[in-house]
Amino acid sequence: MIQVFSGLLLRAFVVLSGTALLTFALLWNAPGDPAQTIAMARFDALLSDDVIEQVRQEVGLDKGFWQAFWAWLGPLLRLDLGYSAVTGRPVGPDLWAAVSYSFPLAGAALAVGLAMSVPLAVIATKRPGSLLDRFAVGIASLGNAIPAYWLGLMLILLFAVKLAWLPALGASTPAHAILPALTLGLGVAASLTRIIRSGILEARGQAFLPAISRRGVSERALGKDHIAPHAAIPVITVFGLELAFLLEGIVLVEVIFGRPGLGTFLVQAILSRDFSHVQAVVVLTALIFVTVNLVIDLIYRAIDPRIGENNA
Amino acid sequence: MRSVIALVFATVLLMVVGPMFAPYDPTAINIPKRLSAPNTIFLLGTDAFGRDILSRLLHGAQWSLGLAFLISVISLVIGTTIGLIAALGGRFADWGLMRVTDTFLAFPELVAAIVIAGLLGAGSWSLIFALSITGWMRYARVARGIGLSVQSRGYVVQARLAGLSGISIARWHYLPSLLPSLTVVWTGMFARAILGISALGFLGFGVQPPNPEWGAMLLDARVHLRSTPLQMIWPGLAIVICVLAINLAGDALRDALSKQDSHE
Repeated sequence: MIQVFSGLLLRAFVVLSGTALLTFALLWNAPGDPAQTIAMARFDALLSDDVIEQVRQEVGLDKGFWQAFWAWLGPLLRLDLGYSAVTGRPVGPDLWAAVSYSFPLAGAALAVGLAMSVPLAVIATKRPGSLLDRFAVGIASLGNAIPAYWLGLMLILLFAVKLAWLPALGASTPAHAILPALTLGLGVAASLTRIIRSGILEARGQAFLPAISRRGVSERALGKDHIAPHAAIPVITVFGLELAFLLEGIVLVEVIFGRPGLGTFLVQAILSRDFSHVQAVVVLTALIFVTVNLVIDLIYRAIDPRIGENNA
Repeated sequence: MRSVIALVFATVLLMVVGPMFAPYDPTAINIPKRLSAPNTIFLLGTDAFGRDILSRLLHGAQWSLGLAFLISVISLVIGTTIGLIAALGGRFADWGLMRVTDTFLAFPELVAAIVIAGLLGAGSWSLIFALSITGWMRYARVARGIGLSVQSRGYVVQARLAGLSGISIARWHYLPSLLPSLTVVWTGMFARAILGISALGFLGFGVQPPNPEWGAMLLDARVHLRSTPLQMIWPGLAIVICVLAINLAGDALRDALSKQDSHE
């Protein structure tokens, strides 16, 4: 177990340092003079060369690549995200404020997705191949093909413009989160339905089930103790993919609904070439992603003893 | 395989023949007729510059589908090459390349593409670069996995003993067994590329105006949500139909392959 854990941890470390290096290399090689962009963003005017030169030194852009990289990595390891060169404010609190909008939204979307996909998949697999089953699969395929930003716009059109039931833009009340959560949740539901459905069907096909059933174990107990755990395995495996989907969706959904959060934070940072903000989002995303995948790996091993210790 | 060939054929047809049916120039500005509802002259209406939406949709196929095709093929080549090098190149190359793959996989692809395309500066080239560089990992995984599994097969061992070079073995003994699975992955990535291109276009980091890419059209239409909601529906529908068709073709191929496997 310790060996497995350290193997996974090593992998997580390699991945994280790789991401940090790639991000930094990208920012370093981005076209245009970053010093000038930062100066323009900060002072909002055309500037003389000495001001730009001063900004360059201040931000540390005049050092070489590796020196600048280490200078950036050091504080990062102490969880110090530094100051934004554009706004001049510390990055940490701003990032935290964005996260505090995005995480509840992602959680709500995941809840919506699970609440829709699990019942749908269970009902659909009562009789595989039936009209209801094919309907569920069809809806799921359609849901997979609908881009989140378009779905979001359609929901705004229906519920905010035509029916005027729900607010669309901003995040001032909890009601503002309903449409964004629904937009993301429907996407999650579409992909989860397919996976849970095939998971249940596969679990039903286990050879020992008829034997247990003939011994008099009730249908309900069979479902709870023998089918559900087996069907849960593929769901946990794709959880990492769902998380990726959520993070990608959040960027678009927040932009559509004009909500503050990680997505708008990132897009704003890219537009104003606020490198420290971009880096902060990228590193945070990678950290979340790697941590969640690590946890999934461990849960996966815990519930499925067939995955040996050698498969680290 | 037939479904995918039909799909490729339909895509090419749509890109080549579609623009011929466009009634107007997709970039011709006609301010007096701006934001008109669908009518007999402009079948799907016009946008904020009075440009014919139907013509823009038909020409947009070249951007949305054409770029997606290009991107998915570029990443197919990159991914397969890396996967095969990992499978054939010995333990050290395998470990190194797979950690690189892990690093790229350890990040939501679209978020990475947004960052890359945004920082490189909006435009078609940075779009192609951003989506290709974030889209090759699945191919690499599949190519490596199958590569490792055929490694110990008799014909590969014989070819190696006969003195064939690594490249020849990859070309003549690995690629044929890789092709079906890679095609399944390709259909998925083709659909993802369409969604990625339109997502970046929608955020303003992708294909630039006045070019009629579907996502960029959605971005234009979004502002006029209240006055001409229909304008927003068409490009989205085009995206959904294409992605759905591609996914169904991919599913059909995968089902056919798994049936074949169970017969063997």
